[in-house]
Amino acid sequence: MEALLDFWYAYSATLAFGLVNSLFALSMYSVLSAGILSFTTVVFAAVGGFAAAQMMGTFGLPLWLAVVIAGLLGGLASAIIAALFLKLETHWMALASLALILISRVVVLNTPSLTGGVMGMVVPVRASVLELAVLLAIVSLVFFRLHKSWYGLAIRAVREDAAAASTMGVSARQIQMIAFLISGVVGGLAGAAMATTLQYISADTFYLGVAFTMIASTVLGGSFFWFGPIVGAFVFTALPTITQAVLPEIQDIAKGVVLLVIMIYLPRGLIDPRARGLRKAARQRQQSALNGSDAVEARPGSSTAGHAHD
Amino acid sequence: MTSSDTPVLHELRNVVKRFGGVTAVNDLSMTVNRGTVHGLIGPNGAGKTTVINLITGLFDVSSGSILFQGQRTDTLEPHRIAALGISRTYQNVRLFSGMSVLEQVLTGCYLGRGTSLFASFLGTPDARRKWKASRETAMHLLERVGMADRAGELAETLSYGEQRRIEIARALGSDPKMLLLDEPTAGMNHAEASEIGKLVHELRDSGLTILMVEHNISLVTEFCETCTVINFGQLLAEGTPRTCIDNPDVQTAYFGKKRDALGL
Repeated sequence: MEALLDFWYAYSATLAFGLVNSLFALSMYSVLSAGILSFTTVVFAAVGGFAAAQMMGTFGLPLWLAVVIAGLLGGLASAIIAALFLKLETHWMALASLALILISRVVVLNTPSLTGGVMGMVVPVRASVLELAVLLAIVSLVFFRLHKSWYGLAIRAVREDAAAASTMGVSARQIQMIAFLISGVVGGLAGAAMATTLQYISADTFYLGVAFTMIASTVLGGSFFWFGPIVGAFVFTALPTITQAVLPEIQDIAKGVVLLVIMIYLPRGLIDPRARGLRKAARQRQQSALNGSDAVEARPGSSTAGHAHD
Repeated sequence: MTSSDTPVLHELRNVVKRFGGVTAVNDLSMTVNRGTVHGLIGPNGAGKTTVINLITGLFDVSSGSILFQGQRTDTLEPHRIAALGISRTYQNVRLFSGMSVLEQVLTGCYLGRGTSLFASFLGTPDARRKWKASRETAMHLLERVGMADRAGELAETLSYGEQRRIEIARALGSDPKMLLLDEPTAGMNHAEASEIGKLVHELRDSGLTILMVEHNISLVTEFCETCTVINFGQLLAEGTPRTCIDNPDVQTAYFGKKRDALGL
């Protein structure tokens, strides 16, 4: 029992940050799954984080009400940004979103009445791990339902081939707009969760470090299924703790190394629904080859095709 | 007089498409009648696929107009044109990576889903019923192209000919009025190709209008009632397949001048 408590004290902080980072990663996944690389989640989180801090600190609102308001304000911010950004080509969108993060930092620093300016803000309320887990569970349920719905089918089509999807009546713009709105709400929630976990936020809380963490989590876990970013966020959050315990010599570069290894050997991330279908097809080919069926021949482009024939 | 009284379903009027300095389609006019199989043929690079892309709105016309059921469509976005009832397949097969065979066709059923995205997200009883109905439609279409037993498989692992048939099922998912087939038999052997031809005739008999880009002249004579021949983006001949093939300009375009062949 005591050992369990010790474990809890040692790792509850890691767990809390895993939950918070999952929300950040899901916000990014929302737009990434529509074929858009955008870091605007950081800005939505800043809006949600400072709003939640003000709601609880200045107005004394309860935690959950503040969290809901943070989500709504994040959604509002995303509606405005999406209206401006959706005109851009995808790589310019990524660049524009980074520029927006730089701008929003300056805005945060120069509006001390809203954000505490350079001093930052102390957040008087702390969210428990259980509360964070409930929040992530609710958001996960939303993504689960989205995946099972017509939206889930449409967004996959838009991501894989927006032009082909449009000739099936799918409006890529509409789908991407919805994706941005969801990203905004979840980003706002993530900001509030971050604020109530750290209990102190400043301009540097919502800056490039978060952007790196969330893209790394999403790439690591996989951006083709909603569960991927959650797995990625937990692995990425726990990694420094694990390396510190096991191999302290490499803890500074562990994140970078893991990210490189994943990108080279598992470019679609840890959770990849397509890989299952590919394995199944490979098994079937093998089976029919064993059965001596002459219908199956080595296909050009398969791994054996690389061998020269002379 | 309503538009359904006229035999013309689809019409190109003096359509021009330029890419920079290159004129891919030049002053092309063409009509497709209701309930027919119309062939669009021409040598490589004649601009056939460009015409399909213009009709579906993937390209904007440089000048001229395109009408479907008497309504101008050349200013509409692709998804709006699709909603009017024009559906297509692609020359190089553009199935969605990562989707199963059934999911591909279900995506094709998007326009006829009969429920809002939000209701579908909530999973209301009505939305669930409609989803089930769409699934049944998709399965039925897969049966029609002979791919029902592969419904659960990842589409990209199947053979080229199978992928082409899935693409046709996907295009039929929206229950279109006009179907554009861009070289539906490319890469198929003769038996597979005649199967597609049979399917095309079945679809026509059920009331669908089909515009088919085809490379293979003998298939065109077999499948199409009328056809349009283009070369360098310009109209070369139109009428029945027979009259088109007998046209000396068409023969020159395809086989070159007899004088050249004889080395004179």
